[in-house]
Amino acid sequence: MAEADDILIGIDLGTTNSLVAFGDDTGPHLIAGAIGDDDVILPSVVAFHEDGGVTVGHEARSHAVERPMTTIHSIKRLMGKGIADLKDDAVRLPYRLSQRRGDTEQRDVAAVLVNDKLYTPPEISAMILRELKVRAERHFGRSVSRAVITVPAHFDDAQRQATRDAGQIAGLDVVRIVNEPTAAALAYGLDRTEHAAIAVYDLGGGTFDISILRLEEGVFEVLATNGDTHLGGDDFDNTLIDLFSREIREQFGIEIATPTIKQQLRTLSENIKMRLSDRDTAPVEIAIGPDKVYRRTITREEFEKMIEPLVGRTILACSRAMKAAGLTPQQINEVVLVGGSTRVPYVRQRVAEVFRCRPYTALDPEQVVAIGAAVQASILGGANRDVLLLDVTPLSLGIETLGGAMGKLMSANVRIPCQATETFTTFQDGQTAVKINVLQGERELARDCRSLGIFELQNIPPMPAGIPKIDVTFLIDQNGILNVSAREQRSGKTASVQIIPSHGLTREEVRHMQEEAIKYAREDMTAHHLIDVCAAVEFDLNKAEQMIERYGHLIDDAKRRSLTAAIADLRAFAKQTDDPVALNKRREVFNRSTTSLAERAMTATLQVDDTDEPESAAKLSSPRGASSPSTT
Amino acid sequence: MSCTESTVPVKCLKCQAELASPIVCTGCRTLYPPPQSADYFDLLGLQRNYVIDESQLTAAVRAISRKIHPDRFADQPPEMRKLATRLSAEVNQAMTVLKDPAQRAAYMLELAGGPSAAEVRDVPGDLLAEVMVLREQIDEAQSSQDAEPVEQMRSSIQARRTQALKQIASRADQLAAHSDEEKKEFRRLLNSLKYFDNLLEQLAADPLAQASGADNG
Repeated sequence: MAEADDILIGIDLGTTNSLVAFGDDTGPHLIAGAIGDDDVILPSVVAFHEDGGVTVGHEARSHAVERPMTTIHSIKRLMGKGIADLKDDAVRLPYRLSQRRGDTEQRDVAAVLVNDKLYTPPEISAMILRELKVRAERHFGRSVSRAVITVPAHFDDAQRQATRDAGQIAGLDVVRIVNEPTAAALAYGLDRTEHAAIAVYDLGGGTFDISILRLEEGVFEVLATNGDTHLGGDDFDNTLIDLFSREIREQFGIEIATPTIKQQLRTLSENIKMRLSDRDTAPVEIAIGPDKVYRRTITREEFEKMIEPLVGRTILACSRAMKAAGLTPQQINEVVLVGGSTRVPYVRQRVAEVFRCRPYTALDPEQVVAIGAAVQASILGGANRDVLLLDVTPLSLGIETLGGAMGKLMSANVRIPCQATETFTTFQDGQTAVKINVLQGERELARDCRSLGIFELQNIPPMPAGIPKIDVTFLIDQNGILNVSAREQRSGKTASVQIIPSHGLTREEVRHMQEEAIKYAREDMTAHHLIDVCAAVEFDLNKAEQMIERYGHLIDDAKRRSLTAAIADLRAFAKQTDDPVALNKRREVFNRSTTSLAERAMTATLQVDDTDEPESAAKLSSPRGASSPSTT
Repeated sequence: MSCTESTVPVKCLKCQAELASPIVCTGCRTLYPPPQSADYFDLLGLQRNYVIDESQLTAAVRAISRKIHPDRFADQPPEMRKLATRLSAEVNQAMTVLKDPAQRAAYMLELAGGPSAAEVRDVPGDLLAEVMVLREQIDEAQSSQDAEPVEQMRSSIQARRTQALKQIASRADQLAAHSDEEKKEFRRLLNSLKYFDNLLEQLAADPLAQASGADNG
């Protein structure tokens, strides 16, 4: 039907978990991993092994306690950041943070130090993206190279660029970056509503967003957004970690400093947080040494008191967003909750209070963003012409003026794409280059805003000071990413703009990383992918053999013989091939050939009923391949 | 009023349908670079009047956005996508300016060849003295620790701003026929809005956080 290149997937690249989905005529669908249809969540954890191998996901996460220094989680918090931004994180994270080699005062890109090697956050994120790409390729049986990726609405330009860079390193053309709360609104299919005002409250593992949208005949207009890209469920865990660390220090005089215990404490705190979501108390027990056990019970009330300042910050942001949107709580028709951290009852209670209505939670808060990304993918693919997203920029954009002030060019919450033009000149005779410090933020002084980078206008024709007039156009595109172009008025010539990102990678650096990653991916990922496909093939073959054994009498001899032959064929091919894509294609063909038997087997099972059969019925309907007879 | 109409294309070059906006044919989705002569009103297909029906404005933007948003051109060549992005940015800019009464009036003054805020920086004669008094009253109201006087101040300053805006509104549509001196006076009225905005901002701010309340005016 469609060309291979036409497949466009939607990815939720989360702090804690990541998911991949796609959209077709029947709507959006999540793509599962190798284990089974329910295996849709990929923990955003990357583990580096001693033999040089890398694993991603559940398996990687299982190494967190025993090998904390080489198991990297929460990488999203580091995206688009410098080491100077991450002082608090450096204390709490069990792995080592450093700075990209060769950074100058102007450039500060954070990196993770693993086994004496430095990895930038986009490189680590690319490993997660590659895993998701492989999932999608296994699902479609062909290569996938284009994606929509979601980011927190409050991500700045550097964080968005870093996300796009991660995609490129993973071999994905990121055709669109979509804000997570906006994607969630799409997933809810609220476009069917004639017109309404809705609020999306999105509290994830490491980021918080609140977006206020207006829906009008299928058009989603974001009116305002607010948030904090450094506030999430991780911070709830941190309050518990800090409490336990302090009490252990007071009771036993022991400072918790080793990475292993830090990670144990983190895992424990996560579990306690979740337990307190449906119970009133949680027991805590930590063995510190021989005969030394730290014991206490923590109540939900205590926990709520501890997280109150954090939740309070999100509520304040909600009020600001409503004000910016020009709406009162009464004018908001619907509040949607997104992100795993909205499972905390105290969060729900406070959100209900501020919006004066009960929040809507029909969809799984952990899946809704990925589903929205898939919907956006189908909009871009032209399959969905009725729906359109009109988003805003979360932060004001400006330039540093003489005297160190922030000269605002575009305000926060203006609709994107948007642009502004500013004219620059020279201060010295014969000057051929002008440097512009581009800023994002709401503060009045340049040093209190975030520098996106130094943009240098080059090749200005030498003229007396003040004579050249260079019009610089700043354009924020639909992805919320800044594009800068310059033109000299007199000559009408386009001036070149050299960009040195303050907290990001240059185009050349990304290209280099992509090449490195491709080299690595060919060797490692194919092998890794092949193992997964082989496992799936073996699963399907066993299932088919069981079916023939039990229900083979329901089909004629010739058919049975050809099926048995097909099983032997596929098994032999799996043994000798090193091409996972080809193998997966054969697997799909094989599964189609067993469909009719599966259907007959299903009917037989339903007729028998009541005996020990339901178990096998469940088995038949669970893995992909056979047509789904799940509900009757 | 409608002297620009002649230079704006009237019909789509491709499908001959009538163009509601000069940048896009809503029939066949053909995009056109904005003509030099097209102003923000032309861009959105609106009459050049100061009084604008906001729902008509947002509906016009929505209809055009449906056709020109870059997401609608994801499968098109890069030049097409770039043009869609640029046109969308212009339409959004037009919406931002025309939606806000003060920005809309300033834009109409610009179209009429009037002075910019950099060229005429002063305000109507008696305003500065008035603002000084108001500022003192704000300080007094805020130091009373009572919400009532602050609220009173807010509504009286809001009323002054509305009054200035009314004066602006009554003149905006005749700007083209005005003398240079009258255009300068119009600019002074526009400048006065900034002062009221600053006062309202000062009122909205938390008095405890206002250690150094020295606003520049």
